[in-house]
Amino acid sequence: MSATNPSQQPAASQPPGTSQPPGTSQPPARGRRWRTVDIIVASVLGVAFGVLFAAWNNFVYPTVYAPLSSTPFSPAIGAIWLMPAVLGALVIRRPGAALYTELVAASTSMLFGSAWGMSVFLSGLWQGLGAELVFALLAYRRWGVGMAVLAGAGAGLAMGVNQAIVSVPEFSLDWKAVYVGSAVFTGLIAGVLSWLLARSLARTGALAPFAAGRAQQEV
Amino acid sequence: MIITGSTEIPGQHSPLGRRNPVAKLGAAFIPAIVLLAGVDPVSSGIVVAAALASVPAWGLRWTDLIRRGWPLGLAITSIALGNTIFTGRKGGAVLVDLGPLLITSESMAAGATTGLRFAAIVLPGMLAVLTIDPVDLADSLVRHLRVPPRFAYGSLAALRLAPLLATEWEVLGRARRARGLEAGRNPVAALRLFGGKLFALLVGAVRRGTHLAVAMDARGFDARGPRTCARESRFTRADAALLLVSAGVVALAVTLAVGTGTWTSSLR
Repeated sequence: MSATNPSQQPAASQPPGTSQPPGTSQPPARGRRWRTVDIIVASVLGVAFGVLFAAWNNFVYPTVYAPLSSTPFSPAIGAIWLMPAVLGALVIRRPGAALYTELVAASTSMLFGSAWGMSVFLSGLWQGLGAELVFALLAYRRWGVGMAVLAGAGAGLAMGVNQAIVSVPEFSLDWKAVYVGSAVFTGLIAGVLSWLLARSLARTGALAPFAAGRAQQEV
Repeated sequence: MIITGSTEIPGQHSPLGRRNPVAKLGAAFIPAIVLLAGVDPVSSGIVVAAALASVPAWGLRWTDLIRRGWPLGLAITSIALGNTIFTGRKGGAVLVDLGPLLITSESMAAGATTGLRFAAIVLPGMLAVLTIDPVDLADSLVRHLRVPPRFAYGSLAALRLAPLLATEWEVLGRARRARGLEAGRNPVAALRLFGGKLFALLVGAVRRGTHLAVAMDARGFDARGPRTCARESRFTRADAALLLVSAGVVALAVTLAVGTGTWTSSLR
């Protein structure tokens, strides 16, 4: 279900007990070992979006979206596919969160009867990596709206290139460029939406166990 | 598995359906990755034919396949049409010529090939996924692919919340109706109502996840000692054979495609 890349979670593959003496239950160091609440909330966000993906795949896609789904502008309304990656990173704020959340979302929709099989998982992998790389480039220090938009664009670029190879390999180069451009554009939207969503979530107090929730309370 | 949480996974006693989940996914990954490298009807056709021929061995009935996979038919059609229209290949006999819309025999062939290729990429994975139980999958990911157990079982625990999310969605809808919040025929109001429900659902899910994490920690989920596993996952010779057969079919398909000269790189 969640084939996490071990290299993305260096702390999780450490031999037990090396990073801290046993008994200290809350590792506060940023970017180190994931706490259980990090794992579970990232997973829950991923599953919630995965259910949305499944609903999209089984209800919205066949009724509304299918006729448009292979035009060069079709990625422009695919922002929802990119949101788990950005939202997961904004909430959890740990290396690997973008990739992990997106992978859980993709795997969930895959397991809940997607007709797309593994290609959903692979899309999730590339989109998650796209966002993850952007967060990594800034050393996991920035979590503002600009960062969210950039990460969304990274995920969108990855989505566009992947889809261009999977779905529209015969497009002429110009149309492929338009296709990838639409995907990047939708990534920008996904970034803004994810940031707004993370902020609203923080305001409800649901993110109290996270730095994202605490930053909001200080305002 | 389906969204209402039914535990009825088809094909648990069939020769392919009861293979190890990692082997099934691996066998589906091979064509899904290799076929990305090229675009041609021969290799795609062989993979689709092999996948369709294997349907009875997965313990799936054709009706199951159609019931679960019919959106795939739409996707294939849509992809074939899109590539026909927007392809750069405009040689051959002209079939439709309406100003900017030019469809020729060559562009039709290009479109049909991409549709077939998409089916070849997706179909094996669909067969594999239809017969996979998430619990078995988490076990075998931890055992055979060394996925960190806290992540595999953590996401499995979260997946178990999905049927609850579906129930909660209904409750949220009823609560809004009780408060007199109904969209009627106004699409904007419907969208806002939908967004509000979605947000409430997400907040509820995050809160539930936080509680779940505390409960799991209380039961030693975060313990750093050696971990034991409640269920056993075995990777047998039959599982290895499934991987080998998949690799063999794909190798044969690509070899034939290159041999007949139809193979074209997808990065032109």
